[in-house]
Amino acid sequence: MAERLSPLEPVLRPGSHGQFEDGVGVVLSEVAPGSIVQLAAWPGQEKAVIAAIKKVTGLALPDGGVANGQKAAFGFAPAKFMVMDEAESLSEALTKAVSPETGTVTDLSHGRTAIRISGPKAGWVLAKFFAIDFSLVAFPIGAGRSTVHHDIFAQIQRSAVDQFDVYVFRSFARSFWHALCRASEEVGYEVR
Amino acid sequence: MSPRRATSGGRIDRLRTIRFTFDGKAFTGHAGDTLASALLANGVTLFGRSFKYHRPRGVLTAGIDEPNALVTVLRGDAREPNVPATTVEIYDGLVAESQNRFPSLKWDVSAVNQLAGKLISAGFYYKTFMGPAIGPLKGTRFWMLCEHFIRRAAGLGRAGRAADPSRYERMNAFCDVLVVGSGPAGLMAAATAADKGARVIVAELDARLGGSANWSGEAIDGMPAAEWAAGLAEGLKSHPNIRVLPRTTVWGFYDGNTLAALERVTDHKEHPGKGEPRHRHWVIRTKKVVLATGAMERPLIFPGNDRPGVMLANAARRYANEFGVLAGSKVALFTNNDSAYHAAVALQKAGTSIAAIIDVRPNVSDAMRNLASDTGAQIHTGHAVVATEGSTALTGIKIQRFDSTNGVLSGESRTIQADCLLMSGGWSPTIHLASQAGAKARWDNELQAFLPPEPTQSWIGAGAFNGSFSTTEAIAEGHVAGLAAAGGKAAANDDLPVADAVAGDPAPAAVFEIRADGKGFVDFQHDVTAEDVRLAHREGFVSVEHLKRYTTLGMATDQGKISNIPGLAIMAAALGKPIPEVGTTRFRPPFAPVSVGSLAAERYGDIRPERLTPMHDWHVEHGATMYAAGLWHRPMIYGHAGETIEQAYVREARTTRETAGIVDVSTLGKIAVQGPDAAEFLDRVYTNMFSTLAVGKARYGLMLREDGIAMDDGTTWRLGKNDFLMTTTTANAGKVMQHLEYFLDMIWPDLKVTLTSVTDQWAGAAIGGPQARAILASCVKGTPVDNTALPFMGIVHGKIADVPVMVCRLSFSGEMAFEVYCGADYGTHVWQALIDAGKPFGLVPYGLEALGTMRIEKGHVTGAEIDGRTTARDLHLDWMLSTRKPFIGSAMMDRNGLASPDRLQLVGLLSLDNRPFNGGAHIEEELDEQNPHGSIGHITAACYSPALGRYIALALVNGGKARHGSRAFVSDPLRKRFGPVQIVSHHFYDPEGSRMHG
Repeated sequence: MAERLSPLEPVLRPGSHGQFEDGVGVVLSEVAPGSIVQLAAWPGQEKAVIAAIKKVTGLALPDGGVANGQKAAFGFAPAKFMVMDEAESLSEALTKAVSPETGTVTDLSHGRTAIRISGPKAGWVLAKFFAIDFSLVAFPIGAGRSTVHHDIFAQIQRSAVDQFDVYVFRSFARSFWHALCRASEEVGYEVR
Repeated sequence: MSPRRATSGGRIDRLRTIRFTFDGKAFTGHAGDTLASALLANGVTLFGRSFKYHRPRGVLTAGIDEPNALVTVLRGDAREPNVPATTVEIYDGLVAESQNRFPSLKWDVSAVNQLAGKLISAGFYYKTFMGPAIGPLKGTRFWMLCEHFIRRAAGLGRAGRAADPSRYERMNAFCDVLVVGSGPAGLMAAATAADKGARVIVAELDARLGGSANWSGEAIDGMPAAEWAAGLAEGLKSHPNIRVLPRTTVWGFYDGNTLAALERVTDHKEHPGKGEPRHRHWVIRTKKVVLATGAMERPLIFPGNDRPGVMLANAARRYANEFGVLAGSKVALFTNNDSAYHAAVALQKAGTSIAAIIDVRPNVSDAMRNLASDTGAQIHTGHAVVATEGSTALTGIKIQRFDSTNGVLSGESRTIQADCLLMSGGWSPTIHLASQAGAKARWDNELQAFLPPEPTQSWIGAGAFNGSFSTTEAIAEGHVAGLAAAGGKAAANDDLPVADAVAGDPAPAAVFEIRADGKGFVDFQHDVTAEDVRLAHREGFVSVEHLKRYTTLGMATDQGKISNIPGLAIMAAALGKPIPEVGTTRFRPPFAPVSVGSLAAERYGDIRPERLTPMHDWHVEHGATMYAAGLWHRPMIYGHAGETIEQAYVREARTTRETAGIVDVSTLGKIAVQGPDAAEFLDRVYTNMFSTLAVGKARYGLMLREDGIAMDDGTTWRLGKNDFLMTTTTANAGKVMQHLEYFLDMIWPDLKVTLTSVTDQWAGAAIGGPQARAILASCVKGTPVDNTALPFMGIVHGKIADVPVMVCRLSFSGEMAFEVYCGADYGTHVWQALIDAGKPFGLVPYGLEALGTMRIEKGHVTGAEIDGRTTARDLHLDWMLSTRKPFIGSAMMDRNGLASPDRLQLVGLLSLDNRPFNGGAHIEEELDEQNPHGSIGHITAACYSPALGRYIALALVNGGKARHGSRAFVSDPLRKRFGPVQIVSHHFYDPEGSRMHG
């Protein structure tokens, strides 16, 4: 099989940038999961979809979401979930596990680009773009949010205390990456 | 030592010398100085020229309320005009200029305006420059002639023409409690709320936290107030629950406790850090707001009250205590209240001699008398200042006996020598934010001030903002407000700090103006005098809103922070009404000027994000001229060296029709429509039937709006029983998605359908032309692509270069054509494989221009024809209107007006003079170049058709179908294009479709 080509590949410049003399405030990287899949449950079928996610991925989905390094899942709207896996072909497995009477499975593995921002200033930098509360109280680990920065729709999961995974439409990814780098300059950033 | 710098005192860093220039002259100051304090320390008294009369002006205040000392700050080529010198922190290399003067501040030719005072009173331009009823300058023409000169003479600083290289940012913040102001009340509120567990943001417009504690000269808990405040401020900065924002002006209080603030991040820095924004626009969403914004001292209105050397009393107190700067060497004070006595003490302690205190009140308390005698000042009670002397600096004042009950002056005037006059006309609580947040302010007759209204949003006031002017009250109210904001309650035994100060009476005498001969200024910045206010009254302006607009009182960059109340009082007196009956204007955002850059924030230079297709880099590398189509960037042409755009697209279109061409169609809107009711849903939203579509087939569909007008078209592919892939036009993708989501969520929530934008999931390439099938057959594995396996509108799955692809046979170009879809991350890989496979066949990539050309030749419609006004019938798409089912728009589409035969209908046009057409040109039955008239329609799209060998166009023409074969004229007066055309069918090329059906 051919190599998948990320829209960020030509613009990703590994190394430290901006005002990093006193250490970097954030680390930016592309997550590039093999699978990004969206699930929707019909009214009353949420539990069945959550059970299907658990059956296929082993991820027990609490109220917000969960991330374990290899796999992640979160709710981003009533009865709608995003599930990610390092491996490809998650979509096929979930499609088998979710019957048409339960809900739908939509493969977005190529349609969304996942950007990870971590470090002590991650919340500060993201707050420049998104009008949501990034404090740990309001946005606990594992939880996901649907939000928008001007024309760019984004889904964000907090995958650790100081770490967020931002999912944007692939076609916007390069523009958003440039904006993110620019916004990170004042705190110093490292691209990995 | 500078002439006006006290030998000790102040919170400046005397060990650090800062060098800056003002009007080209080099000065020094100390770290912690403002431009105003540093210039005053250097003995500068003249800071600017006034707006209208070009009168010399000095510094009136020590803060954001400054109306006079406006300067332009220069950084490189960028200039920022109208910045109060009182708010500019000096740094090494600061360059500032005075404004509104020529040739120099000291010698200003426009100062002659002062002699024309009567001619240029309030509203003068409405009256003076109306022209005669007849003649060359009749009506407004005379005004238009004069306007140029008036605008040049009047005004503030000059804006720069160079682009502002600074960067700006927006920041979103959330908290439980936002404390606005960090004086004793704000500090207490923040500390108390945070200790209670609330998440707190403290915004302070100055660089240093502490507010009045920095300059009151009082003691709190036995230590100097400034030290007490500094200690508390340090605690706040390290508190885990508190974010402290110095240099941050909260300027707007909007609905839902959303507040806007401007942080000046690097204005005070010689070298901003890498990536640091100049300003940061904060949008703060908070559960509770504590307004601890303090109060502003008012001037007194008397002739000559604007002369350099006249200053607000407590501004001078601040210069002395906070900056170690003396406002004068021999100072007189003029007051209607006790606070000026504290100012006198501060100045005397700093080393100034106090010549006299003139108090309009007949009696003052013993406490104040004792303070005055400590300073060595002589008290003149029952007196008022009636004139000031000097030119660009004060030399003396004239005082006269004054009856504060009726404003009558009596007796002979006396002169007192002084180089500085400090005035205090009472205090106005800074209620701007509360006023923005809702209800009307209420007048307090005792304090002669408007106090904050009852909260209509979730805020709590504390300290001088509430009219509680003593520091002890401020501390107590801040504590209570902080507790209440965090959801707690104060206990009677809470041990609170106490201020040690000689208590004064907070109530001033109800005196705002001393009426004597000469100009007494109310609005210093807009040069509005007390007489202007009375003139407005005489001319019939009774409402305070009209007064404001006619005189421009309070409409300058300071928004009348110090002038509104005196202006109102003078208006009320003229009307013979009490002040509360006259009312006050409602404050609007912003509280202080906001840089436009901060509002544009990160969008500066990047107004909209770019959407790039998976093959974007390939297109650029292969010479494509890119073209912005909405947010998308698409190839327009792949031009060869020396080709014009027309030559390039003609070559691309011709080659496609002769051999094969390939175009990137990844931008087409793609919506996954999934679920057991997906087919039913599509039947309702499309005019034609989709439930009958077989799996593995595609169908062209048309959508109408509810009013029966055409909305969008595209093909929808049935990938599974419950799984459809809808495509929309590139431009309408978002609109269609919203339309569908609205109907699904609001009208038919019972349908089990999921809609997902999958535009970005798929890369799409359309390959068309006589050789298209052969090219495809040479590279697709795992599926045949012959006519049986892949008939028109059929879909097959296979692999190209090891990558799974989905191929649908459909055509926009009119040729035998296929759309090849694959996962977007493989887009370039598959595209390159198709290009390689096409090489032996002569395949060319083509851009939007060739795409447009071929669709015009075929008479296919796009957004240019589906323009929100045309119906399916107008576009000859009525064959798609199913009569077997209802659909969105079916109930409205047969209205008489929409079915009329003389509507604009789609036709084709042939150029009969062999010249090109332009979109938007009119079609007329008769040619009249001098007086174009009688338009029967317009051109929607035009090109040179390589297939026909001539210029053609699509047009919407009245009763178009009936005109086929007739002649008309193109009439395009803007572009001077006139000429004969023939009206024909919109199907120019291969109307039977034999080429695409094969």
